[in-house]
Amino acid sequence: MLAYIIRRIFYLVPVLFVLTVVVFTFVEMLPGNIIDTLVGTEGNNDPEVRKILEKEYGLDQPVYVRYAKWLFRAVQGDFGMSLVTRRPVSVELLSGIPATVYLAVVGISLSMLIAVPLGTIAAVKRNTPIDYTAQVTSLIGISIPEFWFAILCVLFFSLYLGWLPSSGFANPFEDPWASLKFLILPAAAVGFRQAAYTTRLTRSSMLDEMNKEYVDTARSVGLSESKVIFKYTLRNAMIPTITISGLQLANLLGGTVVLESIFAWPGIGRAIFEAILQRDYPLVQAGVLVLGCIVVVMNLLVDLTYRLLNPRVKLG
Amino acid sequence: MTELEARKFADLEAIRAPTLGGRLARWRTALSNAWHELRKSRTASIGAVMLVLLFGACIATPWITTYDPIKQNYRERLQPPSEKHLLGTDRMGRDIYSRLLWGGRRLVAIAILAVAFGLSVGIPYGVLSGYFGGKVDTVAMRLVDGLLAFPGLLLYLLIVTLAREWKMEGIYNDLVLIFALGFAFMPEVARLSRSSVLVEKQKEYVEASRAVGESSLAIALRQILPNIVSPLIVNATVRLGYVILIVAALSFLGLGTPPPTPDWGSDLAAARDYMETAPLIAAFPGLAICYTVLAFNLFGDGLRDILDPRLAER
Repeated sequence: MLAYIIRRIFYLVPVLFVLTVVVFTFVEMLPGNIIDTLVGTEGNNDPEVRKILEKEYGLDQPVYVRYAKWLFRAVQGDFGMSLVTRRPVSVELLSGIPATVYLAVVGISLSMLIAVPLGTIAAVKRNTPIDYTAQVTSLIGISIPEFWFAILCVLFFSLYLGWLPSSGFANPFEDPWASLKFLILPAAAVGFRQAAYTTRLTRSSMLDEMNKEYVDTARSVGLSESKVIFKYTLRNAMIPTITISGLQLANLLGGTVVLESIFAWPGIGRAIFEAILQRDYPLVQAGVLVLGCIVVVMNLLVDLTYRLLNPRVKLG
Repeated sequence: MTELEARKFADLEAIRAPTLGGRLARWRTALSNAWHELRKSRTASIGAVMLVLLFGACIATPWITTYDPIKQNYRERLQPPSEKHLLGTDRMGRDIYSRLLWGGRRLVAIAILAVAFGLSVGIPYGVLSGYFGGKVDTVAMRLVDGLLAFPGLLLYLLIVTLAREWKMEGIYNDLVLIFALGFAFMPEVARLSRSSVLVEKQKEYVEASRAVGESSLAIALRQILPNIVSPLIVNATVRLGYVILIVAALSFLGLGTPPPTPDWGSDLAAARDYMETAPLIAAFPGLAICYTVLAFNLFGDGLRDILDPRLAER
């Protein structure tokens, strides 16, 4: 197992390399450069000034040197200054992480709470109206664009009924009640879509397990049906469900940009989105890099957990 | 030449040089076979009907729309659905029905081209990697892993931002989107076709072709490829729905094609400001996205059941 873990960590190297190159190339490929911005605002386009500035920012060096220097600083958490707020980019990003994690974790938990029972019932009552309803609902769920679902929620619960605030955020440690009110709609929007995926997954892996021999054995020794389902089948069927939910959680951390900007949720996704609008490219660059790293590491952790939970999987 | 031999010869000729009539007849059989297969799965047939309607509307757009989608008319702003404007008008008095159709035509075209691009790069990549195996395969698959690990939406955000900074508009913007979305689909296709090739490679017909002396490349592309098509078709169909969701999300964020181009995502975003007074404006583009994505998902789901009978039993 240890050798496997080491090998998997080693495999991260090319992945992270691709990630850093893409992110670095992104800023390199922007038209113009920082000198244009600096010189442009001052209104003087003196070639001498340009030269001095280019030297100061290291733009006279070849691209691989700049990549290496940038990478060296990035590894230490130094991503430069935000062009808009003039604060270090790392500070801006760090302040967004808790809110994003909070939303993603609550959303995923909510989806599991809905999806696991629903998927199990659909599998046990296969080919009944309950099953069809669950299947159709989940198929519609994965087809609805999340931003539209979010807008409809706001329209109904905030504007029409007036029960919940349409957007915003409150710290759960300072004001739990207000925080909960702000949380409900975004978490529901995250959870609904995830629940649709997870229901389908739970159903199909339950059906897989229910076809296996140990289930017949358990029944033949006279165990009650509920015991067979809950104690044995569901436990095994949960392995893929948990794994995929972990992967989804990783993707959510990188993909809540849309929902965060609809609900004015102060997470890392919204920070990146606003940075794009304000052309604050150091922040965009660092944000994508950080989120990318989180996703990659989460994927690894999920994979390792999967192997631990399921020793039958061959270490490949 | 006996009569039987003559008929056989004629059949062979028909295969070699099909007449127009022969071709049409073969197409008809193929279509009726396909429909017969589709009938096996209710989801697939519903999806197929929805898709036929969708494609029909996309193709017929210039003839069935009644207004210029970008023509503003301030005397008829925010009108409810009426005989004159089937789905009403938006905040600039533009006909929503016409905007929906034109926007859908563009969106579906982008999705199809993007998926086709991903398939055309990913399939040869995966097939060759799987067929040759060894070091080539290891390196090729590590690269694919690296690309797969990249969070999709973030990649699109970066590329779309670049397109904006380079002031790419209209067709260029669409081409950039097609390239980005297709490129992001490529690793998945490569991996899927590789794993199918690994299974197929062991089978007897491959060994037979090798014994006859066919080259590796010919075997990989001419013998193995046709046998791994079905999982790819299913995957591509579902992907079409996903691509449409992504394009709509990007333009909803204001990072897609700039206005006034009709676009479901940006029309939806613009409609948010009028949600209280005219909620229907936000309903139509959303419903259109839902319908399209659902059509692809239903069709893909049903197709999977038909093509993989083992799964259908579940």
